[in-house]
Amino acid sequence: MWKFALLVLQNLGRNPLRTTLTVLGTMVLVAVVTLVWSILDFLDKQTAEKSNNLKAIITERWRAPSQMPYSYVRGLSEAGATEPDDFRPLDSMTWAFYGGTIDPKNRTRENSVFAFCMEPEKLLTMMDELDEMQGEPKAEFAATVEKLKQNRRGIIVGRELLANLNKRVGERMVLYGFNYKDINLEVEIVGLFPDSRYNKSSAINIEYLLSALDSYKREHNGTPHPLAANPVNIVWLRVPDMAGYQRASDQILNSPSFSNPAVKIETLASGVGAFLESFRDIIFGMRFLLAPAIIATLALVISNAIGISVRERQMEFAVMKVLGFRPNQLLGLVLVESLLVGTLAGFASAALTYFITNDYFGGINIQIAFFSKFYIPQAALWWGPLMGVGTALAGSFLPAWTARSVKVSDVFAKVA
Amino acid sequence: MPADSALVRVSGIHKFFTRGSERVDVLQNLSLEVPAAQFLGLMGPSGSGKTTLLNLIAGLDSPSEGEIWVGDQEISRMSEAQLARWRTRSVGFVFQFYHLMSVLSAYRNVELPLLLLPLSAAERKRQVLTALEIVGLADRIHHKPGQLSGGQQQRVGIARAIVTDPTLIVADEPTGDLDAKSAEEILDLLQELRTSLGKTIIMVTHDPRAASRADRVLHLDKGRLVNETRAEV
Ligand SMILES: Nc1ncnc2c1ncn2[C@@H]1O[C@H](COP(=O)(O)OP(=O)(O)OP(=O)(O)O)[C@@H](O)[C@H]1O
Ligand SMILES: [Mg+2]
Repeated sequence: MWKFALLVLQNLGRNPLRTTLTVLGTMVLVAVVTLVWSILDFLDKQTAEKSNNLKAIITERWRAPSQMPYSYVRGLSEAGATEPDDFRPLDSMTWAFYGGTIDPKNRTRENSVFAFCMEPEKLLTMMDELDEMQGEPKAEFAATVEKLKQNRRGIIVGRELLANLNKRVGERMVLYGFNYKDINLEVEIVGLFPDSRYNKSSAINIEYLLSALDSYKREHNGTPHPLAANPVNIVWLRVPDMAGYQRASDQILNSPSFSNPAVKIETLASGVGAFLESFRDIIFGMRFLLAPAIIATLALVISNAIGISVRERQMEFAVMKVLGFRPNQLLGLVLVESLLVGTLAGFASAALTYFITNDYFGGINIQIAFFSKFYIPQAALWWGPLMGVGTALAGSFLPAWTARSVKVSDVFAKVA
Repeated sequence: MPADSALVRVSGIHKFFTRGSERVDVLQNLSLEVPAAQFLGLMGPSGSGKTTLLNLIAGLDSPSEGEIWVGDQEISRMSEAQLARWRTRSVGFVFQFYHLMSVLSAYRNVELPLLLLPLSAAERKRQVLTALEIVGLADRIHHKPGQLSGGQQQRVGIARAIVTDPTLIVADEPTGDLDAKSAEEILDLLQELRTSLGKTIIMVTHDPRAASRADRVLHLDKGRLVNETRAEV
């Protein structure tokens, strides 16, 4: 078969300008489809993710800031489930806010600490952004979280906060509470938040806050701290989807356990979900109408270029038939010729799009809603060429068929 | 029933084409024998069916009726695929307008039919060089058709026709597009193929001078053979 390869190559060299234009046309269109398809793929994944894994926020209904008794935590973190077939959330998290300063005489923004008092392990599974970490950074932060679990008086701080306080990891400090008046916490900095939205925040084990409130009561002859009855500010739930959210909401709102004070439950995604639903139709349309339309255009362009070249060679194909070339051999020669162009152009184009987008630009920022950076998936490296091949096949089949069906007796006809 | 001495035996053929509902009879009850190693000239007015007859003998088309034998093969009964295979080995074609592949060198043009045969690259090379030697173009093998004169292109065409060493060579007005001098050279070459290589040649021509080079000339008129002129030796 290799003996025919030269034949194919020499035909490609017949009209270098046309071959080049065909290659360029293919490359441009493959690049466009690659980009469109990548964006769609990305949006689709994000949409599926965001509407399939959402968090619900439970707060006190009538008061701001929200304050709920600690006794609510157990029930709320189960979404008020009591029966075996009641809905149970995937995960939960409790937040109590604590604000304190290391210099009570001269409190400034710089020497103040704002802390999430919470269950340490939830830092990894429930905190926005932190719950999406992977690999090395995740393992590193998990080790820090482990230290917080071991050391009840530990605190994890953000990088900016650490700098503002002028402290180092391992140092101790006393926080003088300002929302929890007279609740002073003696904390040891066990580690840092990863570089994230938490750079100015800190996290303390909620057990420490609760035990500090207990100590207060003992030290004040049994009089509890004014905030001790309602230390919980927010309870978070992770639910699998909107249906799960709906059930969690029904169970909690109908439960008598959470009526005094009354609570409310919301989800960021209830708005977003509806927004994404409409998005999905657009994505569907783009993917199954726009992308095929582009591919069809590509096929037409290629088909036109190959068609011209085949028509020009009509006589040559007839001569080849006279010499004994079988119809299918001619079909094959024309198809292989365009497949070669399609595959190479498709691959070159997808590879270029991939490396320029991902490596040169470092991903593309699309400013739609809450989506993050977007990259060309690696799969583009094979579906680019595949697209080139597919369109080349579609585009060259008709011309190839013409070549196949050329009439041999034309060769002796007097018109040349 | 293999032929006795004749290489080509055409017996009682009819050929008609249908144009829409109209039937055009091009060849009618035509019989003909061409002995091996004969140089046959075919003459006749335009539209008399010369090309049609040549196409039938060369296996490019099949007769509506009648038999055509070449050697011990009845080509009028072959399928298109069988004919294609048969053509590669058994017939060489020389065209009025040469019909070389413009992108291929003389060498590659001559090699083209050999690609269809199970030959090694070395065998192909030997046969291509031999054929180009015979037509006297051994020094032009890397030229593209566009870089060759009409006469030289026709020689490449002839080299391509003989490269598979077929017994039969058909030529439809091979000198029709050439000046007198080049035409003479091509005719010399064809005669040479017949005398030294023993090829059987059937040549259609309008040119009486070309026809005079043939061993025997047949005249066709309205699809029938009319009279026969024997070349004076
Ligand atoms: N494929 C075809 N379909 C219909 N009619 C055809 C076909 N091929 C040939 N004919 C007709 O058959 C007749 C003979 O044609 P042919 O080409 O054999 O003539 P010719 O003797 O070679 O003429 P010329 O000297 O002009 O080449 C013509 O009337 C032609 O129109
Ligand atoms: Mg003719």
